[in-house]
Amino acid sequence: MTAVQPTRRAMLKTLVAGGFAIGFAAPLGGLAQRAAAASTTTAAVGTWVRIRSDGVVTVLVGSSEMGQGVYTSLAQLVAEELHVAWADIRVAPAPADSAYANPATGAQLTGGSMSVRGYFTALRTAGAAVRDMLRAAAAQQFGVAVSKCVARNGRVYVRGTTRSAGYGELAAAAAKLPVPTNPALAPASAWRIIGTAVPRVDVPAKTRGAAVYGIDVRVPAMKHAIVVHAPAVGGSLASVGAKPRGVAAVVKLKNAAGVVDAIAVVAATTWDAMTGLENLDVSWRAPANAAQLSSSAISAQASSLMNSGTPVVADSSGDASSAVAAATKGIDAVYEVPYLAHAAMEPLACTASVTPGHCELWAPTQAPGLAAQTAAAVCGIDPAQVTVHTTLLGGGLGRKFENDFVSQAVQISKAVAAPVKLTWPREQDFGHDQYRPMAQIRIRAGLAGGTVHGWSDRIVSPSILFQRGWIPDGAVDSQAVEGATELPYAIADRLVEYVRHPAAVPVGFWRSVGHSFNAFAVECAIDELAQLAGADPVAFRQTMLAGNPRASAVLQKVADLAGWGASVPAGRARGVALSAAFGSIVAQIAEVSSPAAGRIKVERVWCAIDCGQVVNPSIVEAQMQGGIVHGLTAALWGRMTFTNGVAGPVNFNRYRMTRMRDMPRVEVAIMASAQPPGGVGEPGVPPIAPAVANAWSRLTGTRVRSLPLQ
Amino acid sequence: MVTIRVNGTTHQLDVSPDMPLLWALRDVLGLTGTKYGCGIEVCGACTVLLGGEAERSCSTGVGEAAARPVTTIEGLSPNGTHPLQQAWIAEQVPQCGYCQSGMIMAAVQLLRDNPHPSDADIDDAMDNICVCGTYQRIRAAIHRAAAR
Repeated sequence: MTAVQPTRRAMLKTLVAGGFAIGFAAPLGGLAQRAAAASTTTAAVGTWVRIRSDGVVTVLVGSSEMGQGVYTSLAQLVAEELHVAWADIRVAPAPADSAYANPATGAQLTGGSMSVRGYFTALRTAGAAVRDMLRAAAAQQFGVAVSKCVARNGRVYVRGTTRSAGYGELAAAAAKLPVPTNPALAPASAWRIIGTAVPRVDVPAKTRGAAVYGIDVRVPAMKHAIVVHAPAVGGSLASVGAKPRGVAAVVKLKNAAGVVDAIAVVAATTWDAMTGLENLDVSWRAPANAAQLSSSAISAQASSLMNSGTPVVADSSGDASSAVAAATKGIDAVYEVPYLAHAAMEPLACTASVTPGHCELWAPTQAPGLAAQTAAAVCGIDPAQVTVHTTLLGGGLGRKFENDFVSQAVQISKAVAAPVKLTWPREQDFGHDQYRPMAQIRIRAGLAGGTVHGWSDRIVSPSILFQRGWIPDGAVDSQAVEGATELPYAIADRLVEYVRHPAAVPVGFWRSVGHSFNAFAVECAIDELAQLAGADPVAFRQTMLAGNPRASAVLQKVADLAGWGASVPAGRARGVALSAAFGSIVAQIAEVSSPAAGRIKVERVWCAIDCGQVVNPSIVEAQMQGGIVHGLTAALWGRMTFTNGVAGPVNFNRYRMTRMRDMPRVEVAIMASAQPPGGVGEPGVPPIAPAVANAWSRLTGTRVRSLPLQ
Repeated sequence: MVTIRVNGTTHQLDVSPDMPLLWALRDVLGLTGTKYGCGIEVCGACTVLLGGEAERSCSTGVGEAAARPVTTIEGLSPNGTHPLQQAWIAEQVPQCGYCQSGMIMAAVQLLRDNPHPSDADIDDAMDNICVCGTYQRIRAAIHRAAAR
C-alpha cells in the first residue's frame, strides 16, 4: 500500500462523514434477492450472511460489482471460514448502510482497488463468526459442549457421535445468539477456497441476458427519460419551448452548483423521449470563457505553467537539481497525455421513485451512500429515508462514483411525481463526462556510473480534488502525483513537483487515476535513460531495485516469461515497464510491429503481478488482461478533445476502442506471496502505455512522448 | 400497430414502425438482455438474430423486423445451455458482462458461417466492443464451442 492511500482514505472519510445510516430493514428488491425470496425461511446470521432453510448461503457484498469480480472474491472470504461448499453460495448486494462500509476507507465506496484489501480480514472474520454461531446453536440443540461441534461443508457435526445438523436447520437458532468478536481464523496453509479459481457467481446470468444492470431496471408505472446537457462545459439553459406531442414532460435539471445545465425529456419509452427531443426547441448559453476551453489552448496553457507556474513540492530528497547538473549525461523530456472519457459500456442510467418523505433509487453506483445523500438533498429529506438498490454496473471505471446522473433521476421523478428511469444517450455519456485529466510532465534526470543520478519531475495537470473543493489551492493533489512519488527505484536525489492547471473541464477518477499518466512519463524517462546509457532496459532498472526485492522479482519474472534477451521476430521490438500501484507491483513487456507506416500493432504482452495473497487467480488474470486492454485504448487511440468547451468525439465511431482484431496475445504470471493482498482492478493499466511506447521507440528509433501514440 | 415474433412468441406492439427494434425489445417487451451501447450500430451490444442473421437492433426499425423472426439472448436456448453460453461459462468470459449478449449473438452467426474459425477469422468477424477487455477469453470460448 502506498503512502498516498491514507490521504485518499482520509479524504473519503471526510466526504462521507455523517448522514450514512440507511435503515437495514428496507426492502432489497431485485437481483440475487429473488433467489433468496424463493425460500420459505431465511435467517439473517450477523450482518453479512443469510442462510436459507435448505442450507443455501447468501453473502451480502458491500462493494459494487462492475466486472472486477468482487461478488465472487468477497464471497470467497466468507465461504472459506464458514466452511460451506462454493456451489451453495449466493451473493446479494448489501444495502447502503454504514455497517457495510469498507474497513479501509470507512465508506461504502468501490474504488482504489480497495475491495479485497479492505474487506480481507473483516469478511473472513464474519464467516468465522457465523460458523461459530452455528456451532453454538448445534451445541444447544444436542446438549453438548461447543468444543465438540465441528463445522464442515455446510453441516455441524458432534465429534465422536453420528449426530449432525445442516446449516439450514441451525440458522434460525444461530441468528438469536450473540455474534462472537474474535473467532479463530484459518491459517493460509489451510485455505480451500481462498486462492482458488472458483467460478464467478455472476457469470451464468451474464450469458443469458438475465443480469440486471442499472439501465435494465423496470418498476411498475415507470416512465422513461433521456437527458441533454448544455453542449459546452459551464454552459446553461437559455430557453426551452413547449413540450412536443408524445412527450410526457420536459424537466429542467440543476447541476450541483444550482445552475440549470440540462433538460430531461420524459416519455413512455426511451425512443419516444429521444424523438421528442428532436422536436423540442431548446437553446443554450455558452460560458464566457469558452475560448479558453479548447484543447490547443489548454495544452498551451500547460506549457506556460510548466515554465512559469508556481509548483508545490510533492516529494523531495537530497538535491535533485545539483545532481542532474553534475551528471555526465541526462535527459530533459516533456510528456503529454490528453483528457480521456470513461466510456463504460453501460451508459449512465438511474431509476428513481420519489414519494412524499421517501425516495427509492435503483442505481449502478460505485457509491451507494453518496447516492443516498444526493437524493436526500434533492428531496429535502433525511438520507435515512432513501432506499438504494445497487444494481450491477456495466462497467464503472470511476465514472459511476459520481452522482450527477443520480441527482438528475431524482429531480425528474420529483417533478413528474412518478417513477422514472433516466438513460443518458451515448453522446451525452461521452460529451458530459468527468474526464481523466490531461497532463504535461517534464522529467529532467542525469546519468552517472551507468545509473540514474538526480531526478526532477514536474507535473502540470488539473486537480480532481481541488475542483471538488476537497483540497485548498496550493495543496498537492495526491491523485495527480501518485505514481510519480514513491517510485520503486532507489534514487537518492529527487524532486517531484505539482502545478495545478486551472482548466474548467470537469475531471474525475479514471481507472488507475494519476498512475495512468505518471507511469507513462516515469517509465518512458527511465527507458530513455537506459538507451542513453546503452544499457539493457531490464538490467538498467534492476540496478535501482536492489532495495526492493518484490519489485525486482516481478521484473525478473516478466523478463523470464517473455524470454527477454532472446531474439525477437523480425520486424518486431519489445519494451518493458514497471509500476507499483494500489498495493501491487506489475511489470509488463509489450512486443510491437508496424504493419503500415506510423501504425502500431501490439502483438504480444507479458505481464507479471505481485498482488500479495491471491483470492482468485482467474479473476486476477482477467483483471490484468482487462487493464492491459483499457491501457492500450489510451496508449493507441484515446483522446477527448474540446473546441470552445464542446467535446469532440462523442460516440464510438469517433472514439476508437481496442477491439478483437487489436487484441494482443497476453500471458499473465502471478507471483506466489504471503504478503497481505494488494489491489488488482487498477494496477494492470499503468505499465502498458510506456511498455508499448518503449517498444515503439526501439522498433522505429523515434521516441514518441505524447499519447495517444498514433 | 406492428406485429413481431420474438423468441417464438408473437406480439402486437402499439408503436411506430420506425422505433428501433432495440427499444421495442427493451422498453415495450421488457427483454433487457439486449443492450443499448451506442445507438449507431458501431459497438454491437444490441446484436440480435433477425431471420437467423446477426443484426444491430439499434438501427433496425421494428417495422423491418416484422417480416422475420427475432431471437434475443433470452431466447437463444431454453436454460442458457447453448454451446456458446456453456463455453462462455467454462472460460469465465464476462467481467462487467454488459457487451456479452451481443458478443454471444455475433458468435452464433460466426460459428454458423464458419464452424471452425481460426483466430484471424474470429478477429475479422467479431467487431463488437468490450471495454473490460475480455477478447482473449472470447476467442478461447469460441474455439471451445467450435470443438464440441
